[in-house]
Amino acid sequence: MYKTFTEKPIQRIGEDGKRLGRQKIGLPPEKLLEMYRDMLRARLFDEKLVLILRQGKTSFYSQSTGMEGTQIGLAHAIRAGHDWVWPYYRDQGLMLALGVPARDVLAQFMGLESDESKARQMPHHFSSRAHRVVSCSSSIANQVAPAAGMAMAQKYLGLDEITVCTFGDGATSEGDWHAGVNMAAVNGASVLFVCENNQYAISAGLESQMKCKNVSSKGHAYGIPGYFVDGQDVVAVQEVMLQAAEEVRAGGGPVLVEALTYRIGTHSSADDDSKYRSREEVQLWKNRDPIVRLERYLEREGILPDATGRQALQQGIRSELEQILHQLNLESGPSWRSMFEDVYSDLPVHLQEQYQSLEVEQLALERAEALRRAGARERAEIHATQLIGEGSY
Amino acid sequence: MTQLAEKPNPISEKKVMTLAAALTDGMDIALERDEKVVMYGEDVGVMGGVFRVTTGLQGKHGKHRVFDTPLTEEGILGTAVGMCAVGWKPVVELQFGGFLYAGLDQVISHVSRYRYRSRGRWNTPMVIRFPYGGGLNLLEQHHDSPETYLTHTPGIKVVFPTTPYDAKGLMLAAIEDPDPVVIFENIKLYRSVKEEVPTGYYTVPLGKARKVMDGSDVTLITWGAMVTQCEAAAKAALEAGISCDVLDLRTLVPLDLEAILESVEKTGRVVIVHEANLTSGFGGEIAALIAEKALFSLEAPILRVAGFDTMHSPFNPINHFHRPEPAYIADAIRKVLEA
Ligand SMILES: Cc1ncc(C[n+]2csc(CCOP(=O)(O)OP(=O)(O)O)c2C)c(N)n1
Ligand SMILES: [Mg+2]
Repeated sequence: MYKTFTEKPIQRIGEDGKRLGRQKIGLPPEKLLEMYRDMLRARLFDEKLVLILRQGKTSFYSQSTGMEGTQIGLAHAIRAGHDWVWPYYRDQGLMLALGVPARDVLAQFMGLESDESKARQMPHHFSSRAHRVVSCSSSIANQVAPAAGMAMAQKYLGLDEITVCTFGDGATSEGDWHAGVNMAAVNGASVLFVCENNQYAISAGLESQMKCKNVSSKGHAYGIPGYFVDGQDVVAVQEVMLQAAEEVRAGGGPVLVEALTYRIGTHSSADDDSKYRSREEVQLWKNRDPIVRLERYLEREGILPDATGRQALQQGIRSELEQILHQLNLESGPSWRSMFEDVYSDLPVHLQEQYQSLEVEQLALERAEALRRAGARERAEIHATQLIGEGSY
Repeated sequence: MTQLAEKPNPISEKKVMTLAAALTDGMDIALERDEKVVMYGEDVGVMGGVFRVTTGLQGKHGKHRVFDTPLTEEGILGTAVGMCAVGWKPVVELQFGGFLYAGLDQVISHVSRYRYRSRGRWNTPMVIRFPYGGGLNLLEQHHDSPETYLTHTPGIKVVFPTTPYDAKGLMLAAIEDPDPVVIFENIKLYRSVKEEVPTGYYTVPLGKARKVMDGSDVTLITWGAMVTQCEAAAKAALEAGISCDVLDLRTLVPLDLEAILESVEKTGRVVIVHEANLTSGFGGEIAALIAEKALFSLEAPILRVAGFDTMHSPFNPINHFHRPEPAYIADAIRKVLEA
């Protein structure tokens, strides 16, 4: 049993890959390898997304590189598709590891018609009804009270589902966060609150964000347990989250888990992190790579795939993403018409009128565009015949 | 009286500035002139704000005057109220207009009411500034134009700079104003407009509209990024022999009703254009005022071109259907002329 409110983050694997503590690690090799694969998948997804952002196929990206231990450890501790999840925007690794198809996650980033939110959300605002992942808003910490409400209903209905709610360290300063955690605590609601503490909220480091020594200690204020775990140690994260999730499931009320991690990349594609943190600090945390740590452990246990095996694993993930992108590149975004759907359950008269006025404009634009294209084609043909006439082919 | 864009003092030195740079310059001068001025918000200090509008100010004026806060809009706005009570002049930044909602209770319950509930013994002469507006594929709350929540709240002044010259002058006027002022900084305009701006101190008074184009057939009344769209539509109309009087309101509260009525009496035809969605938008207020005060000057029904009553257009790298496009405005110009 792990203890609450520890001074130091709970660890299971040291930097050198050695198991810490006397307790054996209970996870079977298949599970460890699955977690390893999921971490690689999250990392390669990040790499790919940075590329497609440069190609203009998405508009915005926030990397989660460095945070895989936290997100994948969590995904493997809860019951995917059974427990409900209110994620925050940096959770692409969590989404993939929960089994949300990479295709769906990519369609969200690309704003396609087939996206579950129909391209009405910014990239990173995940949702999947089938996987019980609830769509979030852009307002930080907005998901906390709703997650508490869902869990109050679950408790009332006596379900064995729990609600998982994730957020960053910065989010814990918002009034919404405190209101939501307190409501959950008072009602004994079945929520697992997870703070992915990557030590920054854009440029704001932890010292400018909070005076208390860490996020998990905020559990004291609400009378709920707080666990503090090393987010770079996927095994520790999985074990602590599992213990916390089962405490919640057993009806003990909400639990707060803080995973201490780091974002290696910039806050988002619009950020320049050299303004607010040193390269030495970033390097220090690059050296604490959660994937490398797990590899070292797997190697000691003799279950790490050899270099060729690892290469094949990465190649497999890369070609999976490549194939999906190939397919998605053929898809398009929703038309302007979808803007009027789902605002209300029906289409009230004033929206019908607005729809019709835009339709007139759009049809005129489409006609103009068709004429322009036809004109361009005609000009191109004339140009081509001239060239042919001049014999310059 | 409407002023054709006031000419800056010719003796003063000038420098080409973007709208963002002009705002920075205005804040810099305010910090220099008045030691009661402080600036804070999320990421405004070390980083200079996510749109870099406070760049360099912390370095120059010190961490006690320009500083970063925890992530809490309610905290940012609420602390500003307390500072005002002891005579400070906080200029606070919210990261996006759509994050105003997270602190709106402070604005409506405190900021707007202090003067009234204390017989003027206390006031809240703060400036609240934020980037806002769509057309950039920043969806959800990043896209919003939330002016109506503020114009509907008595006690708050609402400002929309659209040129670098105005941005600096309105910023300085807002900071000096004894009432709380909210400055809407359009994200698209931050770096797309540039002009020569005097390097020294000057103000542009709150409550005076700016005549963007002079015309006699149709009045276009607008603010914020829609000024650019109206100018484009008015230029196209001019080629067809139709001349538009284009008014950039600059401030919605106080409103330059005189300038509006003067133009309406001249043209008799009005199109109001705003980016915020139509229903309960400020355009409705202007239309009502015109109907009350100048109905018999009208030759045609007043038309409004506004954002649709939906959240925003879907993610789409090319088209932004939601904002009034020059084509939609051109269409309205045609309609008021045909009426
Ligand atoms: C209410 C609100 N205020 C401000 C923002 C702008 N913003 C977006 S992300 C962010 C930092 C969040 O930091 P944290 O919660 O630590 O998550 P991280 O990005 O580090 O994963 C801020 C301030 C927002 N989205 N919502
Ligand atoms: Mg963070």
